[in-house]
Amino acid sequence: MAEQMWRVVAVFRVVTLVYAAVLITRDHDSYSHPAAGWLALGVMAAWSAITIAAYSRPGGRQTWLVCADVAVAAGLVLSTRLIVPASQINAGAPTIPSSWAASSVLACAVAGGPAGGLAGASVIIAADIVERQALPQGTLSNIVLVLIAGGVGGYIVQLGLRAEAAADRAARLEAAIAERERIARGIHDSVLQVLALVATRGRELGGEAAELARLAGEQESALRSLVSGASASRPEGGLVDLAGLLEPLGGSRVTVSCPAGAVLLADPPARALAAAAGEALDNVRRHAGDEARAWVLVEDDGAAVTVSVRDNGLGFADGRLAEAEAAGRLGVAQSIKGRMRDVGGTACLRSLPGQGTEVELCVRRF
Amino acid sequence: MSGDSELRVLVVDDHPIWRHSVAAGLEEAGCVVAGTAGDGAQALRVAAATRPGVVLLDLNLPDMSGAEVTRRLLAGDPGIRVLILSASGERQDVLDAMTAGATGYLVKSAQFSELLAAVRSTAAGEAVFTPGLAGLVLGEYRRLAAGAEPAAGAASGPASAGRPASPAQPRLTERETEVLRLVAKGMTYPEIAALLVLSPRTVQNHVQNTLIKLQLHNKAQLVRYALEQGIE
Repeated sequence: MAEQMWRVVAVFRVVTLVYAAVLITRDHDSYSHPAAGWLALGVMAAWSAITIAAYSRPGGRQTWLVCADVAVAAGLVLSTRLIVPASQINAGAPTIPSSWAASSVLACAVAGGPAGGLAGASVIIAADIVERQALPQGTLSNIVLVLIAGGVGGYIVQLGLRAEAAADRAARLEAAIAERERIARGIHDSVLQVLALVATRGRELGGEAAELARLAGEQESALRSLVSGASASRPEGGLVDLAGLLEPLGGSRVTVSCPAGAVLLADPPARALAAAAGEALDNVRRHAGDEARAWVLVEDDGAAVTVSVRDNGLGFADGRLAEAEAAGRLGVAQSIKGRMRDVGGTACLRSLPGQGTEVELCVRRF
Repeated sequence: MSGDSELRVLVVDDHPIWRHSVAAGLEEAGCVVAGTAGDGAQALRVAAATRPGVVLLDLNLPDMSGAEVTRRLLAGDPGIRVLILSASGERQDVLDAMTAGATGYLVKSAQFSELLAAVRSTAAGEAVFTPGLAGLVLGEYRRLAAGAEPAAGAASGPASAGRPASPAQPRLTERETEVLRLVAKGMTYPEIAALLVLSPRTVQNHVQNTLIKLQLHNKAQLVRYALEQGIE
């Protein structure tokens, strides 16, 4: 950003130098000291070369050089009195450097922001007024233009630099978070490995080791849920990843299967599906027997998202719905249905003796 | 198969405790541990030297992705079988490794007996499907059918290069979809066979086909990508 602005100052300086040269070439016949006019043009050309070279390097952008820049421009404005006859000045002839003087104001604005730009502009304006010894309409317009160049130029530079700094900070923060997550993944993986090893070997050894194995297994699924659930907390464009909400439900008796990518849904249906699936799993734990296992399958076909919760428990025949109601199972089914209805979805319950129970939850996208 | 004396296994895992424990368990069970390796590069070297029948591959290696190790192992020996084992099971990583040509997938929390059975099935060339893997495969077919860009995280392979869906997307037959959904809901092959009135062998074949079609598609995409990029 700053680099580009300094380049703009350099281009402005060259263009205005050419303009000043054209004016001096046109008018030098009428000067009281034509040779002094050429000398002033030489000074402008040399000073342009020096400042462009110095400002092109960050080390050359010294405050004293910028001040000298303004002083040289102001000096050249004042020199007009010595070179151009008073009658012409009073008739509105341009100053010797004309708009070239504004390039030093721009340099102030880039180096010092709005305050610097306005300070530089004030010096050039003061020199202008002293040179004119009056305040005709043309000079007043020039003054306003120089003030705008200094103030607005400086403000834009400041805004740009702030935006640049903010973008830089954001990029740095993002890199730091990514690195932290990478390290965390490595640590989680190592811990999961060891817990899984303790769980499997301990189970085989039996006795007290089996108790340790059970504890390790519990911690393993807790950590696994934590790791996989972390990704769900970051919503994308107001949508929630249903897979991230459901994965934490997995454990030693519950398997959650999802597509590889995120299953994005609006927040209310996603939460309703997750809550209903959680309720169905609670139901399995209470009613399907101690040995029952459960599987959660998430399917996304674009138009609809379906979550199936199946267990391999006792199940019940269709004709025994009343029995199921008495056992409290239907009540839960009604509550699941209600949850889904609230978000415009459906829930259906299937059960066959010996094949467990399956609850299918479905939400259409459109 | 003429018994476990022929079953030579290479164990690849960057955790020494796990590596040794699994290797010891396999030897106790009568398998021959052809070697062990702690990273992908070492795995490729040891595999080239010892020519194992099955490679037990951890997804989380320090030097390369599971998909890449799988691809290179198969490039070196097309007859080698890769069984993926993973602890944290990032879904995209698992899917990438499977479509790269792995035969099976198992989570590390599986019991050792399950692991042993999986190694034996893998050696016989039978796909080892967990319900989780069935869910991933179903999702992948739906994604391909939708012609969508690959899910975020597919960092390797041409599928992530943002190219349009190829005209010949693999599709599941109705039967295959039905079988895969039942696997994903935790039913065993015999249970599915009884429900659909099929032989367990037919169920196994349907499941295996779904994976093979994805792997062929992945390979064709790789070739297409290589040709487009001018890589011979």
